[in-house]
Amino acid sequence: MSARRVRMFALIAISLVFLLAWAFPIVWSVLNSLKTDPDVLAYPPKLIFSPTLDAYRDVLFGSGSILPNLVSSIVISVGTTIVTMLMAIPAAYALARLRFRGKKFAGFYVLATQMLPPVGIIIPYFLVLRNIGWIDTYQGIILIYLSFSLPFAIWLLVSYFEDIPFEMEEAAYLDGASRLRTLRRIIIPQVRGGIAVTVVFVFLNAWNEFLFAVVLSGNTVRPVTVAMFNFVSVEQTLWAKLAAVSVLAMLPVVALGVVAQKHIVKGLTVGAVKGGGRR
Amino acid sequence: MAPTTDMAAAAAAAIVPNDFSRVLAQRERRFAAALLAPAFLALLATTTFPLMFLVWTSAFRMDLAMPFANGFVGFENYQALLTDERFWSSLLLSLVYTASTVVLQVVIGLALALLVMDMKRGQGWFRLIAILPVVLSPAVVGMIWRTFMLAPEFGIVDFLAINAGIGSKNWLGDPLLAMVSVIAIHTWQWTPFAFMVLLASLAALPEDIYEAARLDRATAWQRFRRITLPLLRPAIVMVIIMRTMVALTAFAAIFTVTAGGPGTATEILNLYAYRKSFTELSIGYGSALAVALLIVTVIISGVLFALRRAK
Repeated sequence: MSARRVRMFALIAISLVFLLAWAFPIVWSVLNSLKTDPDVLAYPPKLIFSPTLDAYRDVLFGSGSILPNLVSSIVISVGTTIVTMLMAIPAAYALARLRFRGKKFAGFYVLATQMLPPVGIIIPYFLVLRNIGWIDTYQGIILIYLSFSLPFAIWLLVSYFEDIPFEMEEAAYLDGASRLRTLRRIIIPQVRGGIAVTVVFVFLNAWNEFLFAVVLSGNTVRPVTVAMFNFVSVEQTLWAKLAAVSVLAMLPVVALGVVAQKHIVKGLTVGAVKGGGRR
Repeated sequence: MAPTTDMAAAAAAAIVPNDFSRVLAQRERRFAAALLAPAFLALLATTTFPLMFLVWTSAFRMDLAMPFANGFVGFENYQALLTDERFWSSLLLSLVYTASTVVLQVVIGLALALLVMDMKRGQGWFRLIAILPVVLSPAVVGMIWRTFMLAPEFGIVDFLAINAGIGSKNWLGDPLLAMVSVIAIHTWQWTPFAFMVLLASLAALPEDIYEAARLDRATAWQRFRRITLPLLRPAIVMVIIMRTMVALTAFAAIFTVTAGGPGTATEILNLYAYRKSFTELSIGYGSALAVALLIVTVIISGVLFALRRAK
Protein backbone atom coordinates (compact mmCIF):
# COMPACT_ATOMS: atom_id res chain seq x y z
CA MET A 1 0.00 0.00 0.00
CA SER A 2 2.70 2.44 0.93
CA ALA A 3 4.81 1.51 -2.09
CA ARG A 4 1.85 2.49 -4.20
CA ARG A 5 1.57 5.74 -2.31
CA VAL A 6 5.23 6.53 -2.94
CA ARG A 7 4.76 5.75 -6.61
CA MET A 8 1.75 8.01 -6.79
CA PHE A 9 3.59 10.92 -5.19
CA ALA A 10 6.54 10.36 -7.49
CA LEU A 11 4.23 10.53 -10.49
CA ILE A 12 2.59 13.70 -9.26
CA ALA A 13 6.00 15.24 -8.63
CA ILE A 14 7.24 14.34 -12.11
CA SER A 15 4.15 15.71 -13.77
CA LEU A 16 4.39 18.93 -11.80
CA VAL A 17 8.00 19.35 -12.87
CA PHE A 18 7.02 19.02 -16.52
CA LEU A 19 4.04 21.33 -16.23
CA LEU A 20 6.27 23.89 -14.57
CA ALA A 21 9.04 23.43 -17.15
CA TRP A 22 6.63 24.13 -20.01
CA ALA A 23 4.78 26.99 -18.43
CA PHE A 24 7.64 28.71 -16.64
CA PRO A 25 9.53 30.42 -19.50
CA ILE A 26 6.26 31.93 -20.67
CA VAL A 27 5.11 32.98 -17.21
CA TRP A 28 8.56 34.36 -16.48
CA SER A 29 8.48 36.51 -19.62
CA VAL A 30 5.13 37.90 -18.56
CA LEU A 31 6.48 38.70 -15.08
CA ASN A 32 9.61 40.32 -16.52
CA SER A 33 7.49 42.45 -18.82
CA LEU A 34 5.86 43.95 -15.72
CA LYS A 35 9.18 44.83 -14.10
CA THR A 36 11.67 47.65 -14.38
CA ASP A 37 15.09 46.82 -15.84
CA PRO A 38 16.82 46.71 -12.41
CA ASP A 39 14.14 44.28 -11.20
CA VAL A 40 14.68 42.05 -14.25
CA LEU A 41 18.42 42.01 -13.59
CA ALA A 42 18.12 41.43 -9.85
CA TYR A 43 19.96 38.50 -8.32
CA PRO A 44 18.48 36.31 -6.95
CA PRO A 45 15.57 36.63 -9.45
CA LYS A 46 12.60 38.49 -8.02
CA LEU A 47 9.23 36.81 -7.86
CA ILE A 48 7.76 39.57 -5.72
CA PHE A 49 8.03 43.09 -7.09
CA SER A 50 5.83 46.08 -7.68
CA PRO A 51 4.42 45.58 -11.18
CA THR A 52 4.41 48.39 -13.72
CA LEU A 53 3.11 48.75 -17.26
CA ASP A 54 5.94 51.12 -18.19
CA ALA A 55 7.60 48.62 -20.55
CA TYR A 56 4.37 48.18 -22.49
CA ARG A 57 3.77 51.92 -22.65
CA ASP A 58 7.29 52.44 -23.98
CA VAL A 59 7.24 49.73 -26.65
CA LEU A 60 3.76 50.65 -27.85
CA PHE A 61 3.82 54.45 -27.70
CA GLY A 62 7.43 55.45 -27.04
CA SER A 63 10.02 56.21 -29.69
CA GLY A 64 10.73 53.15 -31.81
CA SER A 65 7.19 51.94 -31.18
CA ILE A 66 6.46 48.42 -32.37
CA LEU A 67 2.87 49.25 -33.29
CA PRO A 68 3.75 49.39 -37.02
CA ASN A 69 5.34 45.95 -36.63
CA LEU A 70 2.25 44.54 -35.00
CA VAL A 71 0.27 45.96 -37.91
CA SER A 72 2.72 44.29 -40.31
CA SER A 73 2.29 40.97 -38.55
CA ILE A 74 -1.49 41.27 -38.66
CA VAL A 75 -1.64 42.26 -42.34
CA ILE A 76 0.74 39.45 -43.32
CA SER A 77 -1.07 36.81 -41.27
CA VAL A 78 -4.59 37.81 -42.27
CA GLY A 79 -3.56 38.23 -45.92
CA THR A 80 -1.85 34.86 -46.01
CA THR A 81 -4.83 33.20 -44.35
CA ILE A 82 -7.37 34.63 -46.80
CA VAL A 83 -5.36 33.84 -49.94
CA THR A 84 -4.47 30.37 -48.67
CA MET A 85 -8.04 29.44 -47.80
CA LEU A 86 -9.42 30.72 -51.12
CA MET A 87 -7.03 28.40 -52.94
CA ALA A 88 -6.90 25.47 -50.53
CA ILE A 89 -10.61 24.83 -50.01
CA PRO A 90 -11.42 24.05 -53.66
CA ALA A 91 -8.18 22.11 -54.14
CA ALA A 92 -8.75 20.02 -51.03
CA TYR A 93 -12.31 19.29 -52.08
CA ALA A 94 -11.13 18.08 -55.49
CA LEU A 95 -8.44 15.89 -53.96
CA ALA A 96 -10.79 14.41 -51.40
CA ARG A 97 -13.99 13.90 -53.39
CA LEU A 98 -13.53 13.97 -57.14
CA ARG A 99 -12.24 11.31 -59.51
CA PHE A 100 -9.71 12.37 -62.09
CA ARG A 101 -6.55 11.06 -63.64
CA GLY A 102 -3.34 12.00 -61.84
CA LYS A 103 -5.07 12.44 -58.52
CA LYS A 104 -2.51 10.35 -56.69
CA PHE A 105 0.30 12.30 -58.24
CA ALA A 106 -1.37 15.60 -57.35
CA GLY A 107 -1.67 14.52 -53.72
CA PHE A 108 1.93 13.39 -53.69
CA TYR A 109 3.05 16.66 -55.22
CA VAL A 110 1.39 18.66 -52.44
CA LEU A 111 3.26 16.60 -49.86
CA ALA A 112 6.55 16.63 -51.69
CA THR A 113 6.61 20.42 -51.79
CA GLN A 114 6.81 20.37 -48.01
CA MET A 115 10.13 18.61 -48.17
CA LEU A 116 11.81 21.58 -49.81
CA PRO A 117 13.91 23.38 -47.17
CA PRO A 118 12.73 26.98 -46.69
CA VAL A 119 16.27 28.24 -47.14
CA GLY A 120 16.21 26.66 -50.61
CA ILE A 121 13.09 28.67 -51.46
CA ILE A 122 14.21 31.99 -50.06
CA ILE A 123 17.50 32.21 -51.95
CA PRO A 124 15.95 32.17 -55.45
CA TYR A 125 12.96 34.17 -54.26
CA PHE A 126 15.17 36.84 -52.84
CA LEU A 127 16.86 37.21 -56.25
CA VAL A 128 13.55 37.36 -58.11
CA LEU A 129 11.81 39.75 -55.71
CA ARG A 130 14.85 42.01 -55.68
CA ASN A 131 14.64 42.27 -59.47
CA ILE A 132 10.98 43.18 -59.51
CA GLY A 133 11.24 45.44 -56.46
CA TRP A 134 9.04 43.33 -54.20
CA ILE A 135 11.41 43.16 -51.26
CA ASP A 136 9.85 44.86 -48.24
CA THR A 137 6.32 44.54 -49.67
CA TYR A 138 3.28 42.69 -48.37
CA GLN A 139 2.61 40.93 -51.66
CA GLY A 140 6.17 39.56 -51.71
CA ILE A 141 5.94 38.07 -48.23
CA ILE A 142 2.38 36.77 -48.60
CA LEU A 143 3.24 35.11 -51.92
CA ILE A 144 6.16 33.21 -50.46
CA TYR A 145 4.19 32.26 -47.34
CA LEU A 146 1.92 30.26 -49.65
CA SER A 147 4.83 27.84 -50.12
CA PHE A 148 4.26 26.44 -46.64
CA SER A 149 0.68 27.45 -45.83
CA LEU A 150 -0.92 25.97 -48.96
CA PRO A 151 0.36 22.37 -48.69
CA PHE A 152 -0.45 22.35 -45.02
CA ALA A 153 -3.95 23.76 -45.46
CA ILE A 154 -4.77 21.46 -48.38
CA TRP A 155 -3.60 18.40 -46.51
CA LEU A 156 -5.50 19.30 -43.35
CA LEU A 157 -8.70 20.17 -45.24
CA VAL A 158 -8.61 16.95 -47.27
CA SER A 159 -8.93 14.99 -44.04
CA TYR A 160 -12.04 16.98 -43.11
CA PHE A 161 -13.63 16.70 -46.55
CA GLU A 162 -13.16 12.94 -46.49
CA ASP A 163 -15.32 12.70 -43.39
CA ILE A 164 -18.53 13.96 -45.05
CA PRO A 165 -20.91 11.25 -46.23
CA PHE A 166 -21.26 11.04 -50.02
CA GLU A 167 -25.07 10.85 -49.76
CA MET A 168 -25.31 14.57 -49.07
CA GLU A 169 -23.77 15.43 -52.41
CA GLU A 170 -25.74 12.83 -54.31
CA ALA A 171 -29.00 14.14 -52.91
CA ALA A 172 -28.05 17.65 -54.00
CA TYR A 173 -27.20 16.50 -57.52
CA LEU A 174 -30.49 14.66 -57.81
CA ASP A 175 -32.22 17.89 -56.88
CA GLY A 176 -30.56 19.40 -59.92
CA ALA A 177 -27.95 21.50 -58.15
CA SER A 178 -24.77 22.23 -60.07
CA ARG A 179 -21.43 21.03 -58.79
CA LEU A 180 -20.25 24.47 -57.78
CA ARG A 181 -23.52 25.22 -56.05
CA THR A 182 -23.38 21.89 -54.23
CA LEU A 183 -19.86 22.65 -53.10
CA ARG A 184 -20.81 26.10 -51.84
CA ARG A 185 -24.18 25.33 -50.29
CA ILE A 186 -23.89 21.73 -49.12
CA ILE A 187 -20.26 20.68 -48.73
CA ILE A 188 -18.54 23.76 -47.34
CA PRO A 189 -21.06 24.28 -44.51
CA GLN A 190 -20.37 20.65 -43.55
CA VAL A 191 -16.66 21.32 -43.04
CA ARG A 192 -17.02 24.67 -41.29
CA GLY A 193 -15.27 23.24 -38.26
CA GLY A 194 -12.38 21.94 -40.31
CA ILE A 195 -12.09 25.27 -42.10
CA ALA A 196 -11.98 27.11 -38.78
CA VAL A 197 -9.21 24.81 -37.51
CA THR A 198 -7.26 25.31 -40.73
CA VAL A 199 -7.65 29.09 -40.48
CA VAL A 200 -6.23 28.99 -36.96
CA PHE A 201 -3.23 26.92 -38.05
CA VAL A 202 -2.48 28.99 -41.13
CA PHE A 203 -2.71 32.19 -39.11
CA LEU A 204 -0.42 30.79 -36.40
CA ASN A 205 2.19 29.65 -38.90
CA ALA A 206 2.14 32.97 -40.74
CA TRP A 207 2.33 34.97 -37.50
CA ASN A 208 5.25 32.85 -36.27
CA GLU A 209 7.28 32.67 -39.47
CA PHE A 210 10.78 34.07 -39.23
CA LEU A 211 13.24 32.99 -41.94
CA PHE A 212 11.36 34.46 -44.93
CA ALA A 213 10.43 37.52 -42.91
CA VAL A 214 13.99 38.28 -41.86
CA VAL A 215 15.20 38.14 -45.47
CA LEU A 216 12.29 39.95 -47.14
CA SER A 217 11.38 42.57 -44.56
CA GLY A 218 12.57 46.14 -44.55
CA ASN A 219 11.51 49.45 -43.10
CA THR A 220 7.94 49.29 -44.40
CA VAL A 221 7.09 45.66 -43.76
CA ARG A 222 8.70 44.22 -40.66
CA PRO A 223 6.72 41.75 -38.58
CA VAL A 224 7.12 41.75 -34.83
CA THR A 225 9.20 38.52 -34.77
CA VAL A 226 11.88 40.40 -36.69
CA ALA A 227 11.41 43.77 -34.98
CA MET A 228 12.10 42.06 -31.64
CA PHE A 229 15.79 42.34 -32.48
CA ASN A 230 15.62 46.12 -32.02
CA PHE A 231 15.68 45.48 -28.29
CA VAL A 232 18.83 43.37 -28.18
CA SER A 233 22.00 44.82 -29.56
CA VAL A 234 25.66 44.31 -28.93
CA GLU A 235 25.80 47.42 -26.75
CA GLN A 236 22.79 46.79 -24.61
CA THR A 237 19.65 44.77 -24.08
CA LEU A 238 16.45 46.56 -23.14
CA TRP A 239 15.29 43.77 -20.87
CA ALA A 240 11.82 44.78 -19.75
CA LYS A 241 10.91 46.10 -23.18
CA LEU A 242 12.11 42.91 -24.82
CA ALA A 243 9.91 40.96 -22.42
CA ALA A 244 6.95 43.21 -23.25
CA VAL A 245 7.47 42.74 -26.99
CA SER A 246 7.78 38.98 -26.56
CA VAL A 247 4.53 38.91 -24.64
CA LEU A 248 2.80 40.99 -27.31
CA ALA A 249 4.11 38.59 -29.97
CA MET A 250 2.89 35.61 -27.94
CA LEU A 251 -0.49 37.04 -27.01
CA PRO A 252 -2.48 36.35 -30.20
CA VAL A 253 -1.14 32.86 -30.75
CA VAL A 254 -1.55 31.80 -27.14
CA ALA A 255 -5.08 33.21 -27.12
CA LEU A 256 -5.90 31.29 -30.31
CA GLY A 257 -4.26 28.18 -28.92
CA VAL A 258 -6.24 28.26 -25.70
CA VAL A 259 -9.56 29.16 -27.32
CA ALA A 260 -9.22 26.51 -30.03
CA GLN A 261 -7.59 24.05 -27.62
CA LYS A 262 -9.50 20.91 -28.56
CA HIS A 263 -9.37 21.61 -32.27
CA ILE A 264 -5.68 22.34 -32.15
CA VAL A 265 -5.00 18.91 -30.74
CA LYS A 266 -7.14 17.43 -33.48
CA GLY A 267 -5.40 19.48 -36.12
CA LEU A 268 -2.02 18.27 -34.93
CA THR A 269 -3.07 14.68 -34.61
CA VAL A 270 -5.48 14.15 -37.46
CA GLY A 271 -2.80 12.66 -39.67
CA ALA A 272 -0.96 10.64 -37.09
CA VAL A 273 -3.96 9.11 -35.36
CA LYS A 274 -5.46 7.91 -38.58
CA GLY A 275 -2.25 5.99 -39.13
CA GLY A 276 -2.20 6.98 -42.77
CA GLY A 277 -0.79 10.34 -41.92
CA ARG A 278 0.41 12.41 -44.81
CA ARG A 279 -0.95 10.53 -47.71
CA MET B 1 -23.39 18.33 -76.23
CA ALA B 2 -22.90 18.13 -72.46
CA PRO B 3 -26.27 18.01 -70.70
CA THR B 4 -27.06 21.15 -68.77
CA THR B 5 -28.30 19.44 -65.63
CA ASP B 6 -27.73 16.14 -63.95
CA MET B 7 -31.42 15.40 -64.43
CA ALA B 8 -30.94 15.49 -68.17
CA ALA B 9 -27.85 13.36 -67.76
CA ALA B 10 -29.82 10.86 -65.74
CA ALA B 11 -32.42 10.68 -68.50
CA ALA B 12 -29.70 10.18 -71.08
CA ALA B 13 -28.15 7.49 -68.95
CA ALA B 14 -31.23 5.34 -69.26
CA ILE B 15 -30.63 5.13 -72.99
CA VAL B 16 -26.83 5.08 -73.37
CA PRO B 17 -25.18 4.25 -70.03
CA ASN B 18 -21.64 4.22 -71.45
CA ASP B 19 -21.84 7.66 -72.96
CA PHE B 20 -23.40 8.99 -69.85
CA SER B 21 -20.67 7.84 -67.52
CA ARG B 22 -18.03 9.12 -69.91
CA VAL B 23 -19.61 12.55 -70.06
CA LEU B 24 -19.98 12.60 -66.32
CA ALA B 25 -16.38 11.54 -65.78
CA GLN B 26 -15.22 14.22 -68.17
CA ARG B 27 -17.24 16.88 -66.41
CA GLU B 28 -15.84 15.72 -63.09
CA ARG B 29 -12.30 15.97 -64.46
CA ARG B 30 -12.87 19.47 -65.75
CA PHE B 31 -14.41 20.57 -62.49
CA ALA B 32 -11.48 19.07 -60.58
CA ALA B 33 -8.99 20.83 -62.84
CA ALA B 34 -10.72 24.16 -62.30
CA LEU B 35 -10.73 23.70 -58.55
CA LEU B 36 -7.11 22.62 -58.40
CA ALA B 37 -5.69 25.18 -60.81
CA PRO B 38 -5.22 28.20 -58.50
CA ALA B 39 -3.58 26.22 -55.68
CA PHE B 40 -1.35 24.26 -58.01
CA LEU B 41 -0.27 27.30 -59.98
CA ALA B 42 0.62 28.96 -56.68
CA LEU B 43 2.52 25.88 -55.55
CA LEU B 44 4.38 25.69 -58.84
CA ALA B 45 5.32 29.34 -58.53
CA THR B 46 6.35 29.21 -54.87
CA THR B 47 8.01 25.78 -54.65
CA THR B 48 8.81 24.11 -57.96
CA PHE B 49 10.01 27.20 -59.75
CA PRO B 50 12.29 28.28 -56.86
CA LEU B 51 13.71 24.76 -56.74
CA MET B 52 14.64 24.86 -60.41
CA PHE B 53 16.03 28.36 -60.08
CA LEU B 54 17.98 27.26 -57.00
CA VAL B 55 19.65 24.41 -58.86
CA TRP B 56 20.43 26.80 -61.72
CA THR B 57 21.88 29.39 -59.31
CA SER B 58 24.05 26.75 -57.69
CA ALA B 59 25.94 26.44 -60.99
CA PHE B 60 27.01 30.07 -60.82
CA ARG B 61 29.49 32.09 -58.95
CA MET B 62 27.18 34.77 -57.65
CA ASP B 63 28.69 37.08 -55.12
CA LEU B 64 26.59 40.09 -54.21
CA ALA B 65 29.64 41.68 -52.66
CA MET B 66 31.83 41.12 -55.74
CA PRO B 67 29.49 41.15 -58.74
CA PHE B 68 32.35 41.62 -61.23
CA ALA B 69 33.55 38.05 -60.62
CA ASN B 70 30.15 36.46 -61.26
CA GLY B 71 29.70 33.82 -63.92
CA PHE B 72 28.78 30.28 -64.82
CA VAL B 73 30.97 27.74 -63.03
CA GLY B 74 29.19 24.44 -63.64
CA PHE B 75 29.77 22.01 -60.80
CA GLU B 76 32.55 24.02 -59.20
CA ASN B 77 30.43 24.99 -56.18
CA TYR B 78 29.73 21.32 -55.52
CA GLN B 79 33.40 20.43 -55.90
CA ALA B 80 34.30 23.15 -53.42
CA LEU B 81 31.63 21.82 -51.11
CA LEU B 82 33.21 18.36 -50.97
CA THR B 83 36.43 19.75 -49.56
CA ASP B 84 34.75 22.39 -47.38
CA GLU B 85 35.34 21.47 -43.76
CA ARG B 86 32.71 23.91 -42.60
CA PHE B 87 30.17 22.07 -44.77
CA TRP B 88 31.00 18.68 -43.31
CA SER B 89 30.94 19.96 -39.76
CA SER B 90 27.59 21.68 -40.37
CA LEU B 91 26.22 18.46 -41.83
CA LEU B 92 27.39 16.57 -38.77
CA LEU B 93 25.82 19.21 -36.49
CA SER B 94 22.56 18.88 -38.45
CA LEU B 95 22.53 15.13 -37.91
CA VAL B 96 23.38 15.46 -34.22
CA TYR B 97 20.79 18.20 -33.72
CA THR B 98 18.08 16.27 -35.56
CA ALA B 99 18.75 12.87 -34.02
CA SER B 100 19.03 14.15 -30.46
CA THR B 101 16.02 16.46 -30.56
CA VAL B 102 13.79 13.87 -32.23
CA VAL B 103 14.80 11.07 -29.86
CA LEU B 104 14.34 13.32 -26.82
CA GLN B 105 10.94 14.51 -28.01
CA VAL B 106 9.65 11.02 -28.68
CA VAL B 107 11.04 9.42 -25.51
CA ILE B 108 9.93 12.19 -23.15
CA GLY B 109 6.68 12.70 -25.02
CA LEU B 110 5.81 9.01 -24.90
CA ALA B 111 6.80 8.58 -21.25
CA LEU B 112 4.74 11.57 -20.27
CA ALA B 113 1.77 10.47 -22.38
CA LEU B 114 1.79 7.08 -20.66
CA LEU B 115 1.99 8.78 -17.29
CA VAL B 116 -0.78 11.25 -17.97
CA MET B 117 -2.97 8.56 -19.54
CA ASP B 118 -3.18 6.87 -16.13
CA MET B 119 -4.04 10.05 -14.29
CA LYS B 120 -7.57 10.29 -12.99
CA ARG B 121 -7.41 14.04 -12.52
CA GLY B 122 -5.35 16.86 -13.96
CA GLN B 123 -5.20 15.61 -17.56
CA GLY B 124 -6.80 18.86 -18.63
CA TRP B 125 -3.92 20.87 -17.22
CA PHE B 126 -1.46 18.90 -19.28
CA ARG B 127 -3.47 19.30 -22.43
CA LEU B 128 -3.74 23.03 -21.85
CA ILE B 129 -0.14 23.73 -20.85
CA ALA B 130 1.23 21.52 -23.64
CA ILE B 131 -0.36 23.77 -26.22
CA LEU B 132 1.54 26.86 -25.08
CA PRO B 133 5.06 26.07 -26.37
CA VAL B 134 3.92 24.66 -29.72
CA VAL B 135 1.89 27.70 -30.73
CA LEU B 136 4.75 30.10 -30.07
CA SER B 137 7.07 31.44 -32.73
CA PRO B 138 10.46 29.69 -32.53
CA ALA B 139 11.97 33.16 -32.88
CA VAL B 140 10.22 34.37 -29.72
CA VAL B 141 11.04 31.14 -27.91
CA GLY B 142 14.69 31.55 -28.86
CA MET B 143 14.70 35.13 -27.66
CA ILE B 144 13.14 34.27 -24.30
CA TRP B 145 15.60 31.47 -23.67
CA ARG B 146 18.58 33.48 -24.78
CA THR B 147 17.75 36.25 -22.34
CA PHE B 148 15.53 35.42 -19.39
CA MET B 149 16.44 31.73 -19.12
CA LEU B 150 20.10 31.43 -20.08
CA ALA B 151 21.63 34.82 -19.29
CA PRO B 152 24.39 34.54 -16.70
CA GLU B 153 23.27 34.76 -13.05
CA PHE B 154 19.75 36.21 -13.30
CA GLY B 155 18.77 33.82 -16.09
CA ILE B 156 16.72 31.12 -14.41
CA VAL B 157 18.69 28.18 -15.75
CA ASP B 158 21.95 29.72 -14.60
CA PHE B 159 20.39 30.65 -11.26
CA LEU B 160 19.35 27.03 -10.77
CA ALA B 161 22.80 25.83 -11.85
CA ILE B 162 24.45 28.11 -9.30
CA ASN B 163 22.15 26.85 -6.55
CA ALA B 164 22.64 23.25 -7.58
CA GLY B 165 26.38 23.73 -7.09
CA ILE B 166 27.23 23.45 -10.78
CA GLY B 167 28.14 27.09 -10.85
CA SER B 168 27.46 29.83 -13.38
CA LYS B 169 28.10 28.67 -16.94
CA ASN B 170 28.48 30.48 -20.21
CA TRP B 171 25.54 28.63 -21.73
CA LEU B 172 25.71 30.24 -25.14
CA GLY B 173 29.39 31.17 -25.26
CA ASP B 174 30.87 27.73 -24.76
CA PRO B 175 30.78 25.71 -28.00
CA LEU B 176 29.58 22.46 -26.45
CA LEU B 177 27.13 24.07 -24.02
CA ALA B 178 25.74 26.23 -26.82
CA MET B 179 24.91 23.11 -28.83
CA VAL B 180 23.36 21.50 -25.75
CA SER B 181 21.35 24.68 -25.17
CA VAL B 182 19.89 24.88 -28.68
CA ILE B 183 19.02 21.18 -28.54
CA ALA B 184 17.35 21.68 -25.17
CA ILE B 185 15.38 24.68 -26.43
CA HIS B 186 14.09 22.78 -29.47
CA THR B 187 13.20 19.84 -27.24
CA TRP B 188 11.42 22.15 -24.80
CA GLN B 189 9.30 23.66 -27.52
CA TRP B 190 8.34 20.54 -29.44
CA THR B 191 8.08 17.72 -26.91
CA PRO B 192 4.49 18.84 -26.18
CA PHE B 193 3.71 18.14 -29.83
CA ALA B 194 4.90 14.52 -29.53
CA PHE B 195 3.15 14.31 -26.18
CA MET B 196 -0.20 15.50 -27.53
CA VAL B 197 -0.11 13.28 -30.61
CA LEU B 198 0.88 10.21 -28.62
CA LEU B 199 -1.63 10.92 -25.86
CA ALA B 200 -4.41 11.15 -28.44
CA SER B 201 -3.22 7.89 -30.02
CA LEU B 202 -3.10 6.18 -26.65
CA ALA B 203 -6.63 7.31 -25.89
CA ALA B 204 -7.78 5.82 -29.19
CA LEU B 205 -6.39 2.34 -28.44
CA PRO B 206 -9.02 -0.35 -27.85
CA GLU B 207 -9.66 -1.00 -24.17
CA ASP B 208 -10.57 -4.69 -24.49
CA ILE B 209 -7.07 -5.85 -25.47
CA TYR B 210 -5.78 -4.49 -22.18
CA GLU B 211 -8.65 -6.14 -20.38
CA ALA B 212 -7.67 -9.49 -21.92
CA ALA B 213 -4.01 -8.93 -21.10
CA ARG B 214 -4.89 -8.19 -17.50
CA LEU B 215 -6.91 -11.40 -17.29
CA ASP B 216 -3.86 -13.23 -18.63
CA ARG B 217 -1.82 -11.62 -15.84
CA ALA B 218 0.48 -9.77 -18.18
CA THR B 219 2.83 -7.44 -16.31
CA ALA B 220 2.78 -3.71 -16.92
CA TRP B 221 6.03 -4.00 -18.86
CA GLN B 222 4.64 -6.85 -20.99
CA ARG B 223 1.52 -4.85 -21.71
CA PHE B 224 3.63 -1.90 -22.80
CA ARG B 225 6.09 -3.96 -24.84
CA ARG B 226 3.61 -6.34 -26.48
CA ILE B 227 0.48 -4.23 -26.85
CA THR B 228 1.00 -0.50 -26.49
CA LEU B 229 4.21 -0.17 -28.44
CA PRO B 230 3.14 -2.20 -31.51
CA LEU B 231 -0.24 -0.45 -31.63
CA LEU B 232 1.38 2.93 -31.21
CA ARG B 233 4.07 2.27 -33.78
CA PRO B 234 2.36 4.06 -36.69
CA ALA B 235 1.82 7.16 -34.57
CA ILE B 236 5.39 7.09 -33.26
CA VAL B 237 6.82 6.76 -36.75
CA MET B 238 4.60 9.62 -37.92
CA VAL B 239 5.87 11.83 -35.12
CA ILE B 240 9.44 10.89 -35.97
CA ILE B 241 8.96 11.73 -39.64
CA MET B 242 7.23 15.05 -38.98
CA ARG B 243 9.72 16.14 -36.33
CA THR B 244 12.75 15.08 -38.38
CA MET B 245 11.69 17.24 -41.31
CA VAL B 246 11.26 20.22 -39.00
CA ALA B 247 14.52 19.67 -37.10
CA LEU B 248 16.53 19.45 -40.33
CA THR B 249 15.30 22.88 -41.35
CA ALA B 250 15.25 24.43 -37.87
CA PHE B 251 16.27 28.03 -38.16
CA ALA B 252 14.65 30.70 -36.03
CA ALA B 253 15.33 29.25 -32.59
CA ILE B 254 19.02 28.79 -33.37
CA PHE B 255 19.36 32.05 -35.26
CA THR B 256 17.91 34.11 -32.41
CA VAL B 257 19.82 32.28 -29.68
CA THR B 258 23.34 31.82 -31.07
CA ALA B 259 23.10 32.80 -34.76
CA GLY B 260 25.13 29.64 -35.40
CA GLY B 261 27.87 30.62 -32.98
CA PRO B 262 30.04 30.80 -31.07
CA GLY B 263 32.04 30.61 -34.29
CA THR B 264 30.29 27.79 -36.10
CA ALA B 265 29.54 25.68 -33.01
CA THR B 266 25.78 25.56 -33.59
CA GLU B 267 25.79 26.16 -37.33
CA ILE B 268 23.64 23.36 -38.70
CA LEU B 269 23.58 22.97 -42.50
CA ASN B 270 20.42 25.06 -42.79
CA LEU B 271 22.07 27.97 -40.99
CA TYR B 272 25.27 27.60 -42.98
CA ALA B 273 23.31 27.92 -46.24
CA TYR B 274 21.59 31.02 -44.87
CA ARG B 275 24.75 32.66 -43.56
CA LYS B 276 26.67 31.92 -46.75
CA SER B 277 23.90 33.44 -48.86
CA PHE B 278 22.71 36.38 -46.82
CA THR B 279 25.56 37.27 -44.46
CA GLU B 280 28.54 36.48 -46.66
CA LEU B 281 26.45 37.17 -49.79
CA SER B 282 27.81 34.18 -51.75
CA ILE B 283 24.46 33.30 -53.27
CA GLY B 284 25.83 30.69 -55.70
CA TYR B 285 27.65 28.67 -53.08
CA GLY B 286 24.77 29.16 -50.64
CA SER B 287 22.45 27.66 -53.27
CA ALA B 288 24.70 24.62 -53.58
CA LEU B 289 24.50 24.22 -49.80
CA ALA B 290 20.70 24.46 -49.93
CA VAL B 291 20.61 21.79 -52.64
CA ALA B 292 22.84 19.61 -50.45
CA LEU B 293 20.38 20.12 -47.58
CA LEU B 294 17.51 19.11 -49.86
CA ILE B 295 19.36 15.95 -50.89
CA VAL B 296 20.04 15.08 -47.25
CA THR B 297 16.37 15.70 -46.43
CA VAL B 298 15.18 13.49 -49.27
CA ILE B 299 17.54 10.66 -48.30
CA ILE B 300 16.54 10.77 -44.64
CA SER B 301 12.83 10.93 -45.39
CA GLY B 302 13.26 8.06 -47.85
CA VAL B 303 14.78 5.97 -45.09
CA LEU B 304 12.04 6.96 -42.65
CA PHE B 305 9.22 6.21 -45.06
CA ALA B 306 10.78 2.80 -45.78
CA LEU B 307 10.85 2.29 -42.04
CA ARG B 308 7.16 3.11 -41.89
CA ARG B 309 6.26 0.59 -44.56
CA ALA B 310 8.43 -2.16 -43.03
CA LYS B 311 6.63 -4.28 -40.47
